[in-house]
Amino acid sequence: MIAINSTNTMNPDVASIEDQIEEIIEGNDEPEWVTELRYQGLRSYEEAPLTDPVISDPLEFLSKHSETPADDIESLDDLPDDTKNLLDELGINEMEQKAITGLTIQDGTGMIDSSFREKWEKRGVIMAPMNEAVKKYPELRERFMKLYDPGESKLSAYHTAVWNGGVFLWVKEGVKEEIPLHLFFLIQQEALAQAPHIVILAEPNSEIKLIEGCTSPILSKHSLHLDMTEAYIGENAKVDLSVLQNWPEYVHTRPTQRVKIARGGEFSITTVGLGPGKSNITDPRYWVEEEGQVEINSIILTQEDSHVDLGGEIHLEGNQSTGINNSKAVIMDDSRVITRGKINAESSNTKGHISCDALVMEDGAAMETYPGLSSTVENAELSHEAAIGQIREEELFYLMSRGLSEEEATQLIVQGFVEPAIDDLPEEYLSEIKKIIELSIEGEM
Amino acid sequence: MLEVNNLAVKPDEEVILRDLNFHADPGSFHVIMGPNGSGKSTLARTLAGHPEYENYRGSIGFKGHELASLNPEERLLEGLMLGFQHPPRIEGVKIERFLKQVLNKLEGYEKEGEKEEAIKSATRALDFPEKVLNRNINDGLSGGERKRLELLQARLINPDLLILDEPDSGVDVDSLGLISREMNYLHDNGTGIILITHYGNLLEGLGGREMKVHLFKDGKIVTSGEEDLIREVEEKGFNRIYEECDCN
Repeated sequence: MIAINSTNTMNPDVASIEDQIEEIIEGNDEPEWVTELRYQGLRSYEEAPLTDPVISDPLEFLSKHSETPADDIESLDDLPDDTKNLLDELGINEMEQKAITGLTIQDGTGMIDSSFREKWEKRGVIMAPMNEAVKKYPELRERFMKLYDPGESKLSAYHTAVWNGGVFLWVKEGVKEEIPLHLFFLIQQEALAQAPHIVILAEPNSEIKLIEGCTSPILSKHSLHLDMTEAYIGENAKVDLSVLQNWPEYVHTRPTQRVKIARGGEFSITTVGLGPGKSNITDPRYWVEEEGQVEINSIILTQEDSHVDLGGEIHLEGNQSTGINNSKAVIMDDSRVITRGKINAESSNTKGHISCDALVMEDGAAMETYPGLSSTVENAELSHEAAIGQIREEELFYLMSRGLSEEEATQLIVQGFVEPAIDDLPEEYLSEIKKIIELSIEGEM
Repeated sequence: MLEVNNLAVKPDEEVILRDLNFHADPGSFHVIMGPNGSGKSTLARTLAGHPEYENYRGSIGFKGHELASLNPEERLLEGLMLGFQHPPRIEGVKIERFLKQVLNKLEGYEKEGEKEEAIKSATRALDFPEKVLNRNINDGLSGGERKRLELLQARLINPDLLILDEPDSGVDVDSLGLISREMNYLHDNGTGIILITHYGNLLEGLGGREMKVHLFKDGKIVTSGEEDLIREVEEKGFNRIYEECDCN
């Protein structure tokens, strides 16, 4: 028998997370209450359940202290050359020049900031790197990490402890912005956990559109993107979020959202995952008050052995609130997509609808859908519809009989399946998405 | 141009076409008639290269090629087009985008402007409002509109041989007139036509052009004749004709 005196031995995981926290806060000068939250995450870690079906050890992915690439970055011209080239390849510079929009880029775990911030601030839209925002805006404190419990899972606890980067977007009362704000995440280092924390505060009667782009164009062999968005949609405010993911097949992504929608507020999120990575698992929550509305649209194209699991719970807490959850999936190779959206009607005259459409492209590709509806009130209207199918031979034959090759015909059918769900996105993205679909199918045939 | 010799098609064990012989010269006009289930559509889909019928016996020569070696795309580019009996609806794909992609594959439409002009002019010719181009393929179109959309494509593609599978079924009188007018136009411009139909509906609009009429029964042509054979079918029905020609 071997006797081990374990009472004073710290669990190695906890020690590793503590080291990471120390590294992150060193030289970061973050307020004590923020560091205290990190330690809450740390304390929850050991007891928190491991709910992720893919990642057995979140600590394989080490977080890094914010690496600000250079001082005095005022515009895109001041970026390091390799980052600039990257943005060129992604067509982001072009987009930036076309519209006078805000653009914030998170590169690895460092924030690169553009000069557009000041201009936006004058218009009543504050967009600040989170590391800076926690020091500068007391309004943030009561909303930072309030919509979830760090102990709900190991990944939540880990995020809480080692979050780095992210943004605080604050839209002042009554401010309405037509032009969308852009936010890009890039991963460039290997074995890297990127854990940005985003807080959106839309004051009453404000309106904003936010576009989030995620990619990892340079080989990061083994990465984890563990982001968390907390959003507070004020009375009659309207927030429209589009998320474009084009992660390569070795990135694990765990985006999480927690959104509270006040009376008459509207929140819509469209996620286009044309490269959802090695695995993409998400379980967002939405709480909707009286006459509020939430709409979730997910468009996913999966390849190789990608594993996508989209949860999502909508709580219709107020009278006449509405929840919609639509998903469309194109599933190739040996990939697997699971959708399990749930809508809970907790107040009267609420309406909810879940729809799920999938095109399964070949044997080996798999789709499962588990729509969940529950009502604790008398007069709620809840419904769901699901259709899992494949490309019909007759459609292919028709297009081919008009001179298109099998590849062109397949591309057209898949684009036609996907595009109606995303036609609100800016033109630049649509053509990019079209290109990605074409390339994926080209690779298939 | 088209030489079908001893064709037998046997999808799923059941013989659908057998011992079929058929010849069409460039610019000729053929009418194939026969009761439901006699194999007319199978012939059309076999000629166009439907995967279900790709294993046939006998030979189908088109402009000197054996069709077995060509997929549906290549057959079209070689000049053989099938107008579908039931053109399928394709979700999310706008007609205009589809037509442009088809024109990309053809010669003579190098410039974007040429494509647009050709599409607009064909749209007018088939009596569609221009906004139809923003609809999805065959989505929300009536029976007659779908058949007209097939002919719109034929006008753009300008095939050497056009097989039309029941362009008159499920079509109202006004569309019927348009369809025969368009067939006249295509034929006058050199397209050979094989018209598959049950009835003589379209005949009136075809203005006494020279044609060969073939009657189908159980997967083969049992008798052929001139235009008056159609009137005979209209008057007597298929069964009596089959009895008279000892074709049963």
